[in-house]
Amino acid sequence: MENTARACVLAGNMNRELGTRMRANNRGAIPQGGNTMKKSVMICIVMLALIAVVIPAGAQTKLKVWFAVSGDSGETFKALLEKYKAANPNVSIEYSYSGNYADTATKVSAALLSNTAPDVALMAAGPLYTGARDDFFIESKLNDPDFNKDDIYPGVWDYAKYNGRICAVPYGISTQVMYYNKAIIEKAGINLKNPPKTWNEFLQVAKTAQTKGNITGTPDFWGFDVTDVPWLFKTMLNQNENSVISVKGTKISPAFNDDKGVEVANFWKKLIDEKVMPVGQHSNAEKKFLAGNLAFLAATSARISRWSKDPNLKIDAIPMPYFKRPSVALGGNVLVILAKDPKTKEAAWDLVKFLASKENQTSFALNTGYLPIRKSGLTLPEAKAAVTENPMYAIAFDQLDISWSYWHFEQMGTMDQLLAQAVDALERGALTPKAALDKAAKELQAEIDG
Amino acid sequence: MIFPFVWMMLSSFKTPADVYNYPPKWIPSSFKFTNYEEVFKKIPFIRFYANSIFVSVVQTVLQIAISAMGAFAFAKLEFPLKNKLFAFMQSSLFVPEIVTIIPLFLLAASAGLIDTYTGLIVAELNCAFTTLLIMSFFQTIPNELIDAAKVDGCGYIRVFLEIMLPNSKTAIGTASLFAFLTHWRSYMWPLIITNDVKMRTLPIGLKYLVTETGTEYQVLMAASVMAIVPVLIVYMLMEKEFVQSITLTGLKT
Repeated sequence: MENTARACVLAGNMNRELGTRMRANNRGAIPQGGNTMKKSVMICIVMLALIAVVIPAGAQTKLKVWFAVSGDSGETFKALLEKYKAANPNVSIEYSYSGNYADTATKVSAALLSNTAPDVALMAAGPLYTGARDDFFIESKLNDPDFNKDDIYPGVWDYAKYNGRICAVPYGISTQVMYYNKAIIEKAGINLKNPPKTWNEFLQVAKTAQTKGNITGTPDFWGFDVTDVPWLFKTMLNQNENSVISVKGTKISPAFNDDKGVEVANFWKKLIDEKVMPVGQHSNAEKKFLAGNLAFLAATSARISRWSKDPNLKIDAIPMPYFKRPSVALGGNVLVILAKDPKTKEAAWDLVKFLASKENQTSFALNTGYLPIRKSGLTLPEAKAAVTENPMYAIAFDQLDISWSYWHFEQMGTMDQLLAQAVDALERGALTPKAALDKAAKELQAEIDG
Repeated sequence: MIFPFVWMMLSSFKTPADVYNYPPKWIPSSFKFTNYEEVFKKIPFIRFYANSIFVSVVQTVLQIAISAMGAFAFAKLEFPLKNKLFAFMQSSLFVPEIVTIIPLFLLAASAGLIDTYTGLIVAELNCAFTTLLIMSFFQTIPNELIDAAKVDGCGYIRVFLEIMLPNSKTAIGTASLFAFLTHWRSYMWPLIITNDVKMRTLPIGLKYLVTETGTEYQVLMAASVMAIVPVLIVYMLMEKEFVQSITLTGLKT
């Protein structure tokens, strides 16, 4: 009561004081009050000018960017970041190479736990660092009128999903391409103007190349091999209408060991049994191919730009053979936004949008060997010139229409390891194709169940 | 043992066509230094090199100093919980690096050690192995010698500096070589703790030359030849101690 009363008295005294001053001002102090007003207005103007000049300069947005690509790819990516910096002086970018895909995954994991994560990262398996953490910020920005998400191939978008929702922007995307050695094919008298369409047709062509096209005279001469086994095996599974994994709601389970999967494994065994492909020498396949001891090689499209620069290599490509339907599995990296505060997120999105624009992503693709992800990118003069100069680009670009991917899930790396082990076991005859796939599926299910 | 080294030396002069020749071609088509020039064009090699030398030398000196003091304590002194502490130290040898790297990073990040030499150096001072190695030598020094020194008025510090260390040059030399090699090759921690290219070390620099679209092995080999020079120098300096230690312990790096 006492405190309330004292407060009322003080309030009364203040009101009285204010009333006296106002009356005094109204009585004859108008000119003096006008000067005060002018002063106040001047101060306000100066303050506003200072705010306009000083605050924007001091409020420069800082973005931290990590990228998991090195060599020419890293240099091209850095050049794009510099281009963005030059066009946006209010944004400062601190960028850093973060190691290969696996190293970057470890670095990002550690950084997320300690709140030192980059704002933007170019990395593989990006959706596991955004969608899996329930961060679907990118999904909320897809309708940005400057972005045009429909211009990006639909199959490519699947590579940026977690639980069916987009949480990354596809970037350095590649597919496998079926390369061949021109000299071997010529010596074997094979005409590839009408290339083999199915895997069975391909097997016969590869056999002919092997028996009639040995240009080096080595006994270690083969018809076909592949550098990345799980990647091609997944392509073949999808071509044979097998979905690799089955998704029910948010539950994922292996599906590669059904009858259609076993058909693919049986064909793989046939390549070995008919001695067209060597057993377990896939890590050496690229060396053999470049030395002229292998007729056909299934390898990443990222080799096109590199190999086409070497005048000594006489190499071309055919569309990937298929089983029931044409299809190629995607690989590569994506852009993710890991920033936390809304303002930085918006700035990060602006950078991502810039990097994934038609011109910039296509330029990145053509300089590095990855593929343009935007349909409109293929209409650019530089993309058209690349196709004219090197028909292998046309093969790779056409495959984008049939590109395919499954959504990201935590055990996808384990699945690739298990598939590689299953193929190795069936190649060596340690397990039948069905037993090898069943074993891999059982182990993957156990891993998913935890 | 010499085969990989000779292969690396020869490959550093090869052309891309020589590298991909199958069956492998031993002798390069020409002996030009273009691959060495390429290394300097592609990465800030001198900076990476200087960082690696500085970090590895400081780490080795600190690690050996700490290990020698720890070894002296465990070998010659009695103190409470000695056996438990010893077992704890030994057990740290069985923990893989990848298990500790994230917790260690969290500690380093909270201490503001990202992109600092302190962060690069301190977190990798893994002293358990070198402590055990030096300790095994300290144990062979007779206690009577220490007692005699004490009678002559030596304290623990003088016993350590004037009796233990001078009599264990072989062990300390070998431990230094092991420590230096480990730090020189270290990749994962320097990658995790640094973002600034100026702070990075040579193993990360070599990784810059490995690309997703195909590696230029001839350039990588040229960089690797230059990278092993300090290791060879350290080995030549420590050769006598190293050979003696193998004779005494059967240990090989």
